[in-house]
Amino acid sequence: MRLDVNALGTFYRMAREGTGLAAGRLTHMTGVETRVGVTKLNFMRGQEIRRDFRTSKTKVGVRVELTGAIEGYSLIVFDRENAIRIVETLLDEADSDAELDVETDEFDRMSRSATTEVGHIMNSGFIDGWADVLETVIDVSTPEFIEGESAEPFFDGVSGSPGDDDLALLFQSRIEAVDTEIGFNHYLFPKRESMGALLDQLRTSEGIEYDKLDGFDRMAERGAEEVAKTATTLTGIETNVEIRRLNFVSLETIPEQVPDEKLVSVAFEFEGVPSGYLIFLFDEESAHEIVDAMVPSSVDEDGFGEMGTSAIKELGNIMASGFLDGWANVLDTAIDHSTPEFVHDMGAAAVDPVIVKLGSNQEFAFVFDTVVVADGREFDCEVYAIADESDLERALNDLDVDRIEETPTTAEFQEVDNA
Amino acid sequence: MKTYGSEPGAPSPVQVGISELAVSDGDDTLKSYGLGSCLAIALYDPEDEIGGLAHAMLPDGDAADNSDRKPGKYADTAIRALLRRMVERGASYTSVEAKIAGGSDMFEFDSFGEGVGQRNADAAREELEKLGVPLVAEDVGGDHGRTVEFTPGTGRLLVKTSDEEENGVTEL
Repeated sequence: MRLDVNALGTFYRMAREGTGLAAGRLTHMTGVETRVGVTKLNFMRGQEIRRDFRTSKTKVGVRVELTGAIEGYSLIVFDRENAIRIVETLLDEADSDAELDVETDEFDRMSRSATTEVGHIMNSGFIDGWADVLETVIDVSTPEFIEGESAEPFFDGVSGSPGDDDLALLFQSRIEAVDTEIGFNHYLFPKRESMGALLDQLRTSEGIEYDKLDGFDRMAERGAEEVAKTATTLTGIETNVEIRRLNFVSLETIPEQVPDEKLVSVAFEFEGVPSGYLIFLFDEESAHEIVDAMVPSSVDEDGFGEMGTSAIKELGNIMASGFLDGWANVLDTAIDHSTPEFVHDMGAAAVDPVIVKLGSNQEFAFVFDTVVVADGREFDCEVYAIADESDLERALNDLDVDRIEETPTTAEFQEVDNA
Repeated sequence: MKTYGSEPGAPSPVQVGISELAVSDGDDTLKSYGLGSCLAIALYDPEDEIGGLAHAMLPDGDAADNSDRKPGKYADTAIRALLRRMVERGASYTSVEAKIAGGSDMFEFDSFGEGVGQRNADAAREELEKLGVPLVAEDVGGDHGRTVEFTPGTGRLLVKTSDEEENGVTEL
């Protein structure tokens, strides 16, 4: 099975188109104004997907099986309370006297059937969107209502659901209701053979072997581990990697997923195979915490001052070296990076120059999305590594898959004297 | 970002995401968040109270093969698409005026050359001049981010920066 950017781009358009149709139908059904949030193609290991389900609240979902041009499963997942809100809105429309007993642990029959109906209409919206893009027919089974706190009930009976170490391609979309808290996620788990056939049909170049994406994932893993390790060494704050994801998205999507607030960012350009940009984003509280940890004697200023700025730049610099060393080790290449650029401004504004730059040559990007957090203390760091497309394809093609498992992480850090 | 089910006169501001454009009238609010090197282009016809906002990412759509599908992505094609849609809605071409904001250069990376934000602002000025649309106000360049809010009816363009102390909000 081989893939290329053109095929993934078509997949991405399918996801966007499907999300648009689903959002429109949700609006039509509930009268609630909706907005399409971030749409992503995700490459995730089975264990990461399962962890995603486990770490959050009770969920309810509606699942259908697909046959025809795409074979696999399409799954709408709501947080339980969001499902209740949607059902309330629906029942309000139908009968203003109807009241829902939200205290009961189990969904009653009526809410189950209302949720199933909503979920099914949304699933059908997505699927119609994909069928439109592919100009073909996709058949849908009867919907199945699922409720649970872990991934198991959602994956039970899904033939070909990804094993812990299998890298699955997920379509992930979010639809939000304007001015309310209702939002939900959609997942498509295509069967491997079916996806292989589709990719063959959509590819316009030789592309790369799917299994080489394993190298991507390993790069992401190494890079993230290095960032957490460096942060701990330099600040003394125990940090760990909370999220690590490989996304394929349109460039426009990248600034849109950055929180709409003032952030502290440290950005780098890197050169080699691959080349691209690396951005670390901290919320203000975390940035202050870092300055306190690294420069205990500094005065508590409103902004970050010269000392604070240079401490954060230094941390960013060493984290960037660790991250890119992790990549270089997996790829067996050398990657150099620039000096750090410090920006304390609206988060999206610090990311958009990079997509503006890359946008003249590419429409989509692989984004290595990482979140590093600390237990009990403020340390939230989002890492975006955005690679130049052609370089990345070259780097992956050169990659010897058998080497990946054996690659040790060799980056070393010097102790920094904080005194 | 495209919204579904929004009606004219709806109170919530319409978000115009990167590479998108929207045309509206009266007191509606069109909003673009967190512009860095991207450029907000606002056109309006003060007499007919029709206007539009584009959130362009790149300068030159004529050189790109997807500008038909995504006219809002490029400064030049965004301006033409806004004008066309406004005229379709009843605006008169000759009274349309323009304001632009954004086009910062936040980073000094070698690969960025003389500035990616600067190029966007230059492309917009050039296209407006070609079409004979007067550029009546601008807040471009520098090295900071901007969020803009545009009222098509009055042509008021609010530019917000994250600097609370000085010039937090500028009205164009």
